[in-house]
Amino acid sequence: MDGSYKGRVILIDLSSGSIKVESLSGEYLTKYGGGRGAAAKILWDEVDETIEAMEPENIMIFSTGVLTGTHAPMSGRSTVTSKSPATGRYFKTSVGGHWGLALKMAGYDHIVIKGKADKPVYIYITPENVEIRDASSCWGKGVKATNRIIKNETSPEVEIACIGPAGENGVKFASIMFSYYNAAARGGIGSVMGSKNLKAIAVVGDRGRVSVVDPENFQKIVERVREELYNDTDAYTLHLCGTGATTDWLSDMSILPSYNFKRGKFPGAYYLTGKYLREAGYLKRKVGCAACIYACHRFTTVDEGPYAGTYSGGPEYETLSSFGSGCGVSDIELVLKANEISNDMGMDTISAGVAIQWAMECYERGIITKEDTGGIDLSWGSPEALTTLLEQIAKKEGFGKILAEGLKRASEIVGKDSWKWAVESRGLEHSRVETRGAFGYALAFALNPRGPDHLHTEVLAEFGLKEESRKVIKKITGSEEYAKPYLIEKRAEIVKWHEEIYAVTDSAGLCAFTSTASFGVDEEALAKMYTYATGYKFSPETIMKIGRRTVTLERCYNIREGHTRKDDTLPWRIMNEVQEDLLDKQPEKPVVSQEVLNKMLDDYYELVGWDKETGWPRPDTLRELGLDFCIDPIWKRGDRR
Amino acid sequence: MRRGCEEMKHLKVIPENCTGCLSCMLVCSFKHFKYFDLSKSRISVSRDDEFARFNPTVCILCEDKYCVESCPVGALSVHPEKGYILLDDEKCVSCKVCVSSCPYDGVKWDEDEGKPLFCDMCGGDPECVKHCKFAEALIVVP
Repeated sequence: MDGSYKGRVILIDLSSGSIKVESLSGEYLTKYGGGRGAAAKILWDEVDETIEAMEPENIMIFSTGVLTGTHAPMSGRSTVTSKSPATGRYFKTSVGGHWGLALKMAGYDHIVIKGKADKPVYIYITPENVEIRDASSCWGKGVKATNRIIKNETSPEVEIACIGPAGENGVKFASIMFSYYNAAARGGIGSVMGSKNLKAIAVVGDRGRVSVVDPENFQKIVERVREELYNDTDAYTLHLCGTGATTDWLSDMSILPSYNFKRGKFPGAYYLTGKYLREAGYLKRKVGCAACIYACHRFTTVDEGPYAGTYSGGPEYETLSSFGSGCGVSDIELVLKANEISNDMGMDTISAGVAIQWAMECYERGIITKEDTGGIDLSWGSPEALTTLLEQIAKKEGFGKILAEGLKRASEIVGKDSWKWAVESRGLEHSRVETRGAFGYALAFALNPRGPDHLHTEVLAEFGLKEESRKVIKKITGSEEYAKPYLIEKRAEIVKWHEEIYAVTDSAGLCAFTSTASFGVDEEALAKMYTYATGYKFSPETIMKIGRRTVTLERCYNIREGHTRKDDTLPWRIMNEVQEDLLDKQPEKPVVSQEVLNKMLDDYYELVGWDKETGWPRPDTLRELGLDFCIDPIWKRGDRR
Repeated sequence: MRRGCEEMKHLKVIPENCTGCLSCMLVCSFKHFKYFDLSKSRISVSRDDEFARFNPTVCILCEDKYCVESCPVGALSVHPEKGYILLDDEKCVSCKVCVSSCPYDGVKWDEDEGKPLFCDMCGGDPECVKHCKFAEALIVVP
């Protein structure tokens, strides 16, 4: 393959120490779209249902985007694919920063890692060499220190993806941190890395080269996409205020998850916005991932007061909401401290915050007391909860040891009715979207192969907040009338389109802010960029078919693990309890009932050719997508029903 | 104080606005070489990710033209209308004095060719600036 995707893979077996470089066949690009899609196929082939997430036989696939290394706007994202210790299923987590750019420049599209080193190691990659190095100097260290140590041992130009203590200790929501502060956060994939005794992957790529097959036409489509992205209604706001631009507005609309999803309004929401971070002087720099023209990422510091000396990347909206409104915290400096701790320990701020707010509700209800917490006050807004307890989680000490197991297991340990307000499903903590306030999101979360989370199928367009999103809804459904979040109708169509385009957005290495949150990249633009970058012919139809194939293959992976229709579900609270601040215009309780979800699931299964009883893709659907190899593993196993 | 030539259109760098995205470097390499290679860019961005300090450097068509003055073989001259630096490939002896003479780190080095790289403003409409519209770390003045 020529162009920006060569299918070059580094295969590393940490058990034997073997390192090989191989090239994938063209099918991984033309059929699966490279990136996330290619990784899904590799995971299907290599890790079946007999292998547990934390066993050495599980693999991790680090993938750069097909367009990474080019100047296509926001093309610097990477994905990590593995079996998750949180869900026990397929998991892809995507991440920004500059690491993917370095890996692509070094000449590689994927790294596949299996086995387990007999002592802590890191992998060092240059355009000339790949080696496994001793990591005893940085094992046990936080993310910042690890970066400094590895830079000293290798090169100042090195880009590092590493785990912190949480990943070493097997925390179920440990992240992998890229370029210091960009998190491949979800699903506990950092713990898979820890289970392999792998501390980091360090890459130097600044002397490498990436090319596209048709430079002239590639330049033209990049110019078009760039201008459309600049012109998106929300674009400049994202640059100025980041992803936390609208936390206060969400509260005004009663859709800001607050107090463990009990309420939709939070009195201190303004202090949890990107606007406030700017105005109050916490924001020191707007930060861009590789090739990003928006730069929504933040760098913030606290210069005075009890948390003086705090500095880290972010916080993103998800963090502001998770540690802030979710935990009843309006002290932004405390949120910044919690953000710093999580980033440095290598933990997902979403899951950590959702776990802590669950514990706070247990404390409020008297199910957990200070005796259980070792004296830590778990009242709403408690500073100790977001400092001492967070560190305990990462170190698996004290009460933190229970939360480190993830909410599903923690609620089993604590018992009583605490599972009812454990806002998780399938082992993944629900991200910071009020799914009772947006039915498309609810359906997308229920179907998401990784669990209830936004960054797999971002369906922000269903709110119809701006002209661009209303246009997208019209394109999908035929009418702008469906750009309303409290409709059941057409949610299947809306979710299907977003699943497909977002799968390829991921595989391209593009950000969600190109195709499904802001707009500039549609299926036609993707087809052109893929064609001119790789030299293979892609049409808008083949792009969307690659997306459907990717989503279906990820589904099949989970079905092979035992997934059925009943697993397409949402947390109990979301399906059974009304949040307390409902506005008149919001629907009445319970917002996402089983009945509502069933109706949307039936519509969706019908639309995409899945069996309604089992929720499994029908054999004819699989054949049509060229996924014949999935038919027998799913349909010949009667014991799965 | 970094002063560019006042009469000539040139790039102004505002380091505190830089987001470290490296778009400018990718774009520059692609514009001049038709491929992406960070070491082939006429602009470079040094990054300290831990503290989010990013510092782009590029030829700003300064008044003093230290590079031209210091070139021992007279291989450098100034474009009479556009004001950017012209390299005479035949005369250049790859001594790198131009690189070390520039107080603004504005002269880059092409390792493959053994020759300096100077910003040519893409002939007057720099591509890098188009990818820096929001951040405004790179702007064209006057």
